[in-house]
Amino acid sequence: MRSVYFKELSIYFSSPIFYVIASIFICISGIFFYNAMVYVSLLATKIAQYQMETGVDMNEVLLRPVFSDMSMLIVFIVPIISMRLYAEESSLGTIELLFTYPLSDLSVLVAKYLAGLTVLFCILAITSVLMALMAVIAVPDWGVVFSSYIGLVLMGGAILSLGVFASSLTKNQIIAAALTLGLVLGFWVIGWFAGAVPNTAASEFLQEISLISHLSRFLKGMVTIKDIVFYVCFSVFFLALTLRILDSHRWRG
Amino acid sequence: MITIDGLTKAYGPKIAISNVSFKVNRGEVLGFLGPNGAGKTTTMKIITSFMPPTSGHVSVMEYDTVKDSMKSRQCIGYLPENTPLYPDMRVKTFLKFVARAKGVKKVNMASRVNKVICEFGLEEVQNTVIATLSKGFRQRVGLAQALINDPPVLILDEPTIGLDPKQIYEIRQLIKDLSGSRTIILSSHILPEVSQLCDRVAIINKGKIVAIDRTQSLKARLQDHSSIIIKVGQRLEEALKIIEGVEGVLSVSSSNSSILNVETIKDRDLRPVMAEKIVGAGIPLLEIVRKEMSLEEIFMELITEEEGPDA
Repeated sequence: MRSVYFKELSIYFSSPIFYVIASIFICISGIFFYNAMVYVSLLATKIAQYQMETGVDMNEVLLRPVFSDMSMLIVFIVPIISMRLYAEESSLGTIELLFTYPLSDLSVLVAKYLAGLTVLFCILAITSVLMALMAVIAVPDWGVVFSSYIGLVLMGGAILSLGVFASSLTKNQIIAAALTLGLVLGFWVIGWFAGAVPNTAASEFLQEISLISHLSRFLKGMVTIKDIVFYVCFSVFFLALTLRILDSHRWRG
Repeated sequence: MITIDGLTKAYGPKIAISNVSFKVNRGEVLGFLGPNGAGKTTTMKIITSFMPPTSGHVSVMEYDTVKDSMKSRQCIGYLPENTPLYPDMRVKTFLKFVARAKGVKKVNMASRVNKVICEFGLEEVQNTVIATLSKGFRQRVGLAQALINDPPVLILDEPTIGLDPKQIYEIRQLIKDLSGSRTIILSSHILPEVSQLCDRVAIINKGKIVAIDRTQSLKARLQDHSSIIIKVGQRLEEALKIIEGVEGVLSVSSSNSSILNVETIKDRDLRPVMAEKIVGAGIPLLEIVRKEMSLEEIFMELITEEEGPDA
């Protein structure tokens, strides 16, 4: 398992994939961060001007918008990280090497998934620079920062499992990425329809399987077992589905 | 060493191979011959556990390739068709990955990797990105990855395809060096290659084994007469008459002004008699050779034989 994990990482880091994705992610989150900061300082000046007694809730005006923007970026970036995981192996034919080495399908799958997760983790780790910058001005609520990061990694992991699944379906990386994006957006907006469904059980179900609704509590600083379990189960479900797909590819040749 | 028993693989309604059975003994090099689409690659993919058979069994070193797949995979070095490799990796990084994936112990790792690098002449390219390698070097990297854990069985799918003549020669030389203690199955449609490298040949056509035998016995089995070519300096007509008179000669024909093609019965070598008669008549004899049936001819014969009833 470790062998495949390190192989995937070495491909991510030795080809431009990682650097391109990471720089785009960081530039755009930087812009969002800058905007939020401008807004905060504007607010602060206003408050000083009118000598209001209310303080500025940094969580509300700075952290939450920045992290929720980052979560949008993750939606677009994870499919690009995951698209190559199986599709590239199939199109290069290297899947024939991988599947004839003494490695089980499960260990290869887990290694690939963890490698993708590591890449996402590295990208998010770089954004911690923004948090450090913020700390220079005003000490942020570290609890909210950490819970938001945990939420982003968990949600990213769930999206990654969709990505791995889509990548196992096709030889074409672009199709894999498009399919992932479609699935993610589907799971993202599904919560919006919750209100339209009259049946309360069905509406609650739709609400609960939406990828976004589980993130909101993390962004408020709440780490709940329910949300963690949701993201983990979501990932496990799609990884298990991927394993079935790989198996059926084998039988069909 | 490798036992293949009643192997059948169907892709949906299309049957790729049907009831293929043969054995390969320890240390033997088996050539797997057949036209494109005959089922060579399918058979190899099943032996290497890339896919399971629809029915039948394969065992490699007593390990079933479906039930004991991890163990059988450990015994096999596989070079797939067209040598798939990771273009973004460097040669040495790739070989280290393969060593780790095949469970080479950490203490032996560096020495194993360096050994295959030396063995396949990869020293100068070990830090090169695979995408920039020439086809010949790719093939060597492919062989190196197959051999990194020193497996007793090697499966090579068309190892010389797409190489230039010099590279073909080098790769064949490498394969020759590898045989000996190892059991090798090698598929090819280049026939001289098979007759050069292999002890035995299995010919497959339309998913069925048509023949499997030693190269020599295959030749003997199919040849019901022997051909002799005689080249004379002059007086061809006269020579033709003399040869026709020799006992045991079935037919004589001349293709140009100095060459006679003679068909004789199989179990006697008539060359001394014929030479004596021609020289005795004062005709200058330039050459007299027995023509062996080439593997190409055997191959064509078997395949057309097989196709006969269908047509």
